[in-house]
Amino acid sequence: MKVTLDIWRQDGPDAEGYFETHVMEDVEPELSLLEMLDQLNDEIVEAGGEPIVFESDCREGVCGCCGFLVNGKPHGPLANTPACRQHLRSFPEVTHFTIEPFRSAAFPVIRDLAIDRAALDELVEAAGHVNVMTGTAPDADTVPQDHLTAEQAMDYAICIGCGACVAACPNGAAMLFAGAKLAHLAKMPQGKQERSRRARKMVSMLDENFGPCSLYGECAVSCPAGISLTAIATVNKERWRSVLRGRHSRET
Amino acid sequence: MSVIEKARGQGDTVVRPKLNQHPSNVTLKLIMAATGTIFVLFVFVHMVGNLKLFLGAEDYNAYAAFLRTFLFPFLPYEGLLWVMRLALGVSLILHVWAGLTIHARGRKARGKFSRKGMKKKAWFAKYMVVEGVLLFVFIIVHLLDLTIGRGVASSEFEEATYEMVGNQMVVHAHAYENLVASFSRPWMAAFYTLLMVVVALHIGQGGWNAINDFGGTGPRLRKIWLIAFLLIALIIMVCNGALPMLVLFGVIS
Ligand code: SF4
Ligand code: FES
Repeated sequence: MKVTLDIWRQDGPDAEGYFETHVMEDVEPELSLLEMLDQLNDEIVEAGGEPIVFESDCREGVCGCCGFLVNGKPHGPLANTPACRQHLRSFPEVTHFTIEPFRSAAFPVIRDLAIDRAALDELVEAAGHVNVMTGTAPDADTVPQDHLTAEQAMDYAICIGCGACVAACPNGAAMLFAGAKLAHLAKMPQGKQERSRRARKMVSMLDENFGPCSLYGECAVSCPAGISLTAIATVNKERWRSVLRGRHSRET
Repeated sequence: MSVIEKARGQGDTVVRPKLNQHPSNVTLKLIMAATGTIFVLFVFVHMVGNLKLFLGAEDYNAYAAFLRTFLFPFLPYEGLLWVMRLALGVSLILHVWAGLTIHARGRKARGKFSRKGMKKKAWFAKYMVVEGVLLFVFIIVHLLDLTIGRGVASSEFEEATYEMVGNQMVVHAHAYENLVASFSRPWMAAFYTLLMVVVALHIGQGGWNAINDFGGTGPRLRKIWLIAFLLIALIIMVCNGALPMLVLFGVIS
C-alpha cells in the first residue's frame, strides 16, 4: 500500500522542529508502525540522509520504549495498543500519518521522535518502589495474600511506563501512571508498610512535574497496559487516606 | 574552532522546567468536588421548590414567605436565606478559583502542542470551563432578575416586604408574579431553558469528577454515583427547563 508520512524532525533539544514529508510507494500492510519507520529509514539512509530517531526495544508490548503520536493519538489509531503492536493492516483506511513525539511539557524532545521520560522516573524514585529488608527469601506462605488481591495488584503492576497516558492528557497529567503504582503497591504485603508516606511523596512529585487531572479519560484509552481509570481515584484516595492516618502513624 | 564541529543540535542538554504547583492539584480537585456537590444539592432542592409553581400563586408565595420566616424568632427575617447565600457565595468563589487554576495549570503542563484526535466523550471534560463561565453569567442574571430586581429584571418586579403583626411576622412575597413577569419575555425564558441544558452537562461530568476526586475506587460505588448524578442532571434539566416554557406559553400564568 502507498502511505504518506508527515514526520517531526528535530535535530536536538534546543533546535526548531519541523515536519518532513515522505511518500512510501510500497509498504506491506503486515508491517507494524515501527517496521514502517525502519523501512523508511533504510530508504532515507540509502539516499544519503539522516535516519529518523525513535526508540524501541522489545517490539512485543512489554518494555514501554516505543511510542509517538500518530495523527494526534499516542501509539497510534488503535486503543490500548503500543506502537510496536499496531500493524497497518488493522487500519487500512489510514494512509496519511502525522507522526510526532509524545507531547507534554514534562517530556522534552531529545531528537526527532525520542523524548526524555525522566519525569516518570522521578515519580518512581520518589514513591514507586518499596524499601524493605528482604533478608533471605521467606517461605512461600508466610505472608499470605489471597488470589483476588494478588490479581488486582497485578492489574496495576502491568504498567509498562511508556508515558502514553501523559501524552494523551490535554492537561499533561500523570495520574494514571501514578495511580497504577499506588494501587499496585498498596495491595502488596511489602508495599503496604509505607502506604501513607508513599502517597504523600507521590502527590508532591506529581505537583512538581505534571499537570492536574480534569478527567478527560483519554489516558485510559491510550494506555497499552489497559490500566483502568480507577487509578485516578486511587491517587486521590491514597492521598486523603494518608491525611486521615496522620503524619505520625506507625505505618507512615 | 576544532576540526570536528558540533553536529547540528547535538550535545544540547535537555531542560525540563519544574512546575512546583501549590496548593496541590489533589487539594484543588477535592475543593472543586466538595463545593460542586454542595451546588448540586442546592440546585436540586431549589428545583423541588420551583415545582410548587404548579400549586398556584398562593402556595408558591407562601413557600417564599416560609423561607424568609424560617425559625423566626431564632433567626431574623431572611436569616436562612442569608446563611445559604453566604455558604453558596464562599463555595462559588472557591469553585471558580480552583477551576480556573486547574485550567491554567493544565495548559502550562501540556506545553505548546495541544492535544488532537481525542474521542468524542472527552468533549464533556473539555467544555467544563466554558460551561462554568456560562453558569457564572447565569447566576448573575438570575440574581439580578429574581432576587435583586435590577438590570435585566422585568419592570413589574416587586421585592418581598414584611410587617410585624403582634409577635407574628407577615411576609408579602411576590415571587410568583415576579417569575411569571420575567418568563413572559421570550428571550429570558429561552435563556433560562437553554442554561438548564448547560447545568445538566456540568452536573453530569462534574459528578463523575467528584467521585474520582473523593477517591471512590469501588466499582459499584462509582457506577451508582455516576448514575445518580446523571439522573439528578436529567431531572433538573427537564423540570427546571420546562418551567420557563410553560410560563411563556401561558400554561402557568
Ligand atoms: S499507565 Fe499505561 S499509558 Fe501510562 S505509562 Fe503505564 S502503561 Fe503507559
Ligand atoms: S518496543 Fe517495547 S513496548 Fe513497544
